[in-house]
Amino acid sequence: MSGQPLLEVRGLDKRFAGRSGRDTALWVIKDLSFSVPDGEFLTIIGPSGSGKTTLLNMIAQIDVANGGEVRFQSKSAPINDPKSLNPGLNCQIGYVTQEDNLLPWRTTLQNVLFPLEVQGRLDAEGRARADMLMRTVGLAGFEGHYPHELSGGMRKRASLIRTLVYDPPVILMDEPFGALDAQTRAQLQEDLLRLWNLGRKTIVFVTHDITEAIALGDRTLVLSRAPAKIVGDHPITIPRPRDIRGIMTHPDFAALYQRIREQVQ
Amino acid sequence: MTSLGESRKSGAAELGVGRVVAWLKAHSHQILVFVILIAGWQALTLWRGVYWFSSPWGVLTRFINGILGGELLSHASYTASEAVIGFVIGAIPATILPFLLRRWPMATAILDPVMVGGYGAPKLALAPLFILWFGIGIESKVALVAITVFFIVYFSALSGVRALEPKLVQMAQVAGANERDVARYIVFPGAVPYIFTGFRIAMPYSIGGAVIAELLSANRGLGYLIQFSATNFDTTGIFTALFMTTLIVALGNWSVNIVERRLLRWRPPPDVRMQTGT
Amino acid sequence: MTAQDTALDLSEASSIKWRRYGVIIGRVLLIGLLFVLWKLGADAVGPIYVADPIKVIQRIITDTQSGLLLKHIYATLRISTIGFAIGCAFGIALPFVLRLVPRITAAVEPYIMASVGIPKYALIPLFILYFGIDDAPKLWLVGLLVFYPIFIAVFAGIRNVDRRLINMARIVGASESRIAREVIWYSLTPFFFAALKISLPRAVSAAIIGEFLVGNEGIGYFIENSRQSFDTVGAFAGILVATALVLVLNSVLDKIDHRVNAWRPKERSMEI
Repeated sequence: MSGQPLLEVRGLDKRFAGRSGRDTALWVIKDLSFSVPDGEFLTIIGPSGSGKTTLLNMIAQIDVANGGEVRFQSKSAPINDPKSLNPGLNCQIGYVTQEDNLLPWRTTLQNVLFPLEVQGRLDAEGRARADMLMRTVGLAGFEGHYPHELSGGMRKRASLIRTLVYDPPVILMDEPFGALDAQTRAQLQEDLLRLWNLGRKTIVFVTHDITEAIALGDRTLVLSRAPAKIVGDHPITIPRPRDIRGIMTHPDFAALYQRIREQVQ
Repeated sequence: MTSLGESRKSGAAELGVGRVVAWLKAHSHQILVFVILIAGWQALTLWRGVYWFSSPWGVLTRFINGILGGELLSHASYTASEAVIGFVIGAIPATILPFLLRRWPMATAILDPVMVGGYGAPKLALAPLFILWFGIGIESKVALVAITVFFIVYFSALSGVRALEPKLVQMAQVAGANERDVARYIVFPGAVPYIFTGFRIAMPYSIGGAVIAELLSANRGLGYLIQFSATNFDTTGIFTALFMTTLIVALGNWSVNIVERRLLRWRPPPDVRMQTGT
Repeated sequence: MTAQDTALDLSEASSIKWRRYGVIIGRVLLIGLLFVLWKLGADAVGPIYVADPIKVIQRIITDTQSGLLLKHIYATLRISTIGFAIGCAFGIALPFVLRLVPRITAAVEPYIMASVGIPKYALIPLFILYFGIDDAPKLWLVGLLVFYPIFIAVFAGIRNVDRRLINMARIVGASESRIAREVIWYSLTPFFFAALKISLPRAVSAAIIGEFLVGNEGIGYFIENSRQSFDTVGAFAGILVATALVLVLNSVLDKIDHRVNAWRPKERSMEI
């Protein structure tokens, strides 16, 4: 980890316009700042309605901010004007959303290859990479299936490797495993850590599950209720490789969990 | 629709003038388009002459005179009664048949190709045949409307009967309902929305069918009025009759909606439903 | 059939087979019965009102052999195809253009939707007045009748495209034209096909109705001309051919729809 942060959020503000145009605007995020060094797995935790998704949308540049800035590799990205938004910042910021957002008319493999295809990078190397990722997450044999023929967990895996396949330096993840059952969830968390180990990308992972935040992250930020502020910053000292299913038995876990839980209100 | 009701209620409290101004402001673009459309029409009239494009003012005065003099109204009511009688004759058996067939899936399956064929067949092509059989009076138009409406409503009612939740039937049977109770209290209410979708689709077809049959041969009705005006190169007459026809279609849609809303108050407000128009 | 019925059927494979044969036999019997009724009806009311089915079939065969019927079919198909292409082109292009100018769209939309209510067939006399008695009035009729369902479907389809899919495509680097071609176009293909299934048969019917009223070729002309010269056999033959034409078109469209939209989960609610 170098000293210069890869991604920086400085004084970010976001409000939703009040209903009747009167000045009853609702501040979702106010003066939010944090930075993420290269190669860090950052988890962000906060109560529901604390603007976590809005925050990621602004970093991914599909939503405008009302103030502040997002800096990537020390360059400021224009996010205050809807017209100059640059979603994904030229494919440098990947985004795994809450819903899988697979294109229903494409097969699993075609979905995974979609980013390479639209970026004009669909070559033998890309195909081999997609193939490797499909096998790693256990999707081999389902290349020709349409999304509606896959289970929820498989769709999640496909949407995950669709982002990994084009290798963006930063990947945002918005509660990607939220809607899954506990078993599938643990399996996917293990898959994610294994994939992350291959390249050690920078990841910003949003969740409302404290155990998940501890199990996955190098560091955990705690957000308050709206307007969201950072109320806690916890380095996760549990060494890697971690045993996801047994994480609760690690001696450091209970104290961390307790401290974070007190801040998430 | 509910927003309309709400705004009406609040409107009674506020001052009338303020509300009108607010409405005008909110719809200023649409009003502008209306003015442009009328101005464009007037420009066409000035450019090519009343002979080709009539004129907005001419159509309006002809329309008002036609209503006041009763002549336009009598043609309109003739067409409307053809449509309504045909609609009733076509829609009643089409609504009942799927309920009768519910207990005999075999019979439904046997009928299926004939029904699908009848649904897809160009019924309007039968117009000459009906004129041959029933003459140029009201009967031939009623027959054409009825057969058109029948197939549309049949398939809507059928899908309503088929969409029935088996769980609800079982629940009713467990609660001691007999076959007639099930049909009356479970199957029919569940199918009503589908039947009304059929009515809504069939409504414009019934008026359209009546007008087309009148275009072919008739001595009364709006279709006749259009054809008669056309043979006399009376564009104002054509436009006036067309306007009246459109008005009747709008009136028909409106009344189907009113009845539907009355009958379906239990239903949650509809989502954006797919409409394909006439 | 309800889920309950299906479950019962599955439990007894032989019963399902028996049922299937029963349905096929029933269908054949029903069509035979209709044919017999037609024949009896013809004998009862006389050849001026109802043509003898055997004579109708003979007429179709002789007129096909002489090429007369094919000439008329060709004329009808020509008008419907060209009119369909025109209506379809405008129906697809206009919503994509309106997408770029949301303010104009909001102002124009209520008028377009109101014009849906105009009975298009009633415009024929006006079209004849403006465009003469050649192909033009028929093309206008067919084009307009095709335009509306396609326009409404594509317009609603574009409006209902999942914003999240568009955002996803932007983030992974898709260009705007790529998004229009892939995400928007595919999202609206089910709507588009539903509209296509309505409007293509309608194009043929519209051409036939147009031919009733204007011109001297096409199946519509053949039917109306036969009626006016009290040739009931000819009128019946024409109607039968017109019906067959539309029904064949319907089944071809069904096949194409199933193939093109194979990615779509089977939904019963899509059928109208």
